[in-house]
Amino acid sequence: MLQGHLDILLIAIVTAVACALPGVFLVLRRMTLMSDAISHAILPGIVVAFFLTESLSSPLLILAAAGTGVLTVLFVELLQRTKLVKEDAAIGLTFPALFSIGVILISRFAGNVHLDMDAVLLGELAYAPLNRLKIFGSDLGPVSLYVMGTIFVLNLVFILLFYKELKLVTFDASLAAALGFVPTVIHYGLMTLVSVTTVGAFDAVGSILVVALIAGPPATAYLMTDRLSRMLIFSAIIGSVNAVTGYWVAFLFDVSIAGSIATMTLIIFVLIFFVVPNRGLIAIARRHARQKWEFAQTMLVIHLLNHEGLPEAETESAIADLHEHLSWDPGFTTQVVKYALNNRCVSREETQLILTEQGRTIAQQALVE
Amino acid sequence: MQGAEQKAIQVTDLTVAYQDKPVLWDIDLDVPPGVLLSIVGPNGAGKTTLIKAILGLVRPAAGNVLIYDKPYEAQRGIVGYVPQRGSVDWDFPTNVLDVVMMGRYGALGWIRRPRKKERELAMQALEKVGMEAYTTRQISQLSGGQQQRVFLARALVQDATVYLMDEPFQGVDATTERAIVTLLQELRADGKTVVVVHHDLQTVTDYFDWVMLLNIRRIASGPVDEIFTSDNLRETYGGRVAFMK
Repeated sequence: MLQGHLDILLIAIVTAVACALPGVFLVLRRMTLMSDAISHAILPGIVVAFFLTESLSSPLLILAAAGTGVLTVLFVELLQRTKLVKEDAAIGLTFPALFSIGVILISRFAGNVHLDMDAVLLGELAYAPLNRLKIFGSDLGPVSLYVMGTIFVLNLVFILLFYKELKLVTFDASLAAALGFVPTVIHYGLMTLVSVTTVGAFDAVGSILVVALIAGPPATAYLMTDRLSRMLIFSAIIGSVNAVTGYWVAFLFDVSIAGSIATMTLIIFVLIFFVVPNRGLIAIARRHARQKWEFAQTMLVIHLLNHEGLPEAETESAIADLHEHLSWDPGFTTQVVKYALNNRCVSREETQLILTEQGRTIAQQALVE
Repeated sequence: MQGAEQKAIQVTDLTVAYQDKPVLWDIDLDVPPGVLLSIVGPNGAGKTTLIKAILGLVRPAAGNVLIYDKPYEAQRGIVGYVPQRGSVDWDFPTNVLDVVMMGRYGALGWIRRPRKKERELAMQALEKVGMEAYTTRQISQLSGGQQQRVFLARALVQDATVYLMDEPFQGVDATTERAIVTLLQELRADGKTVVVVHHDLQTVTDYFDWVMLLNIRRIASGPVDEIFTSDNLRETYGGRVAFMK
């Protein structure tokens, strides 16, 4: 029983990491929609190969499906190149057509073979450990762990080898071409990887949720760093966290594992979206709040500076009357005074508010700018 | 080898068309070594396309481009390129030093990673454009002028003989513009050939010694004092320009 849990967890983690790595480049190239298209359009490839091999994990099936994936990219780009159709419409035209060919094939021949629409769309991670790799009678673990492990290594090696090229082509394709790096080669290399990864992950999470694994962790990591290398590492970590927490939630509530993982992907994204330092919503709200108080404080010290040493200074800087001079709400005025006192920009002398050296500098600087 | 006859860039009968709409008609252009040339013309004149055609980024429908007597593919190593600043995504997760090191990728070739030497070259280039204090700055945090300087540093690090720059003065502040002009003139003083797509007619005579007037076809090209005449300008801009020398 424990072995079963461990197997599923391992498959989920390896799948998530394998998807997150190429996903980083899709997110940066604004092509996540393409992974959605690929993940659907590989269906006819899978069905045809399944008819031929009668197995869901044969290498031929992966190759056939990956080929269909690359074909999808090619179709989309050919349509786009006519300049009569924009990219989003080209994607919208291509993948439903290919997907429906797959659906028709399944519905026509489903009586004879075991290929379930639900499993195709949503995958069934819980059954993944049942199909085991056996050599000379000894059990070496679930087949899909080996499949995804191989795909993970493939992705990792490709990205490590061509890291520099992927970075350049993604950031500045013109320069890449001018330097002789042939962006098309890198592009189709990446698309082949995405197709192979999608087919592999399809077994575990189905053709719809694989998009969550490809787009979710990189989009989350993008919020956290401004270094490409770290974005790759963070994506892998977040992918694993999504897989583990998703599995745990599924176990707790006895619901679909793939569904929980995809849901956790969104929840963790939203969480990071709020709390990440510097860029998160909370940090932004805090910065706005601080700016509001700082600005009010600046207005206060400038007001004091303007009337400093003049005959009217006594009335202008009387704490009790400040709100009238500045036309501020009395409660707000009290808070601003407290804020400025805390920051030692002003000091209190009986009923008067007096500028400190620091307060004077701030006021003078603000006026110069 | 061929002495004074040799051309840094030689464009002959170049036509570029998108579908069947020509963007460049039968362009001839000879750029001698060591000049600072601006390509000037109205919007849609094909200035960027000409640069891209020289770099082999767009395929010509007819004609030929030679860089020091050889096709571009054989001369990649001696050509530096500064694309338009707006052509890349400045939110890309990378920093200033990293972008500048990209200029060395061509010399490194496939797979090999930049190392200490590339880092040092990038630092030197950043010093030349006055951006050495920004090495670890995320590129989205830069002002327009700073982004342009980073792009220039990236081209400098290529250590090229011929430079092609697409609108390097676009959206930069006056200080940066001065700094860029000084840099371009230093490059020329070092014997480099610099071709710049430019849109500010007022500064052509101050900044450049050669000019090409372009509007789909070549109106004229040569030394600024011979070519940059109101007649030629009127022909280029179709009388729409209120500019007097």
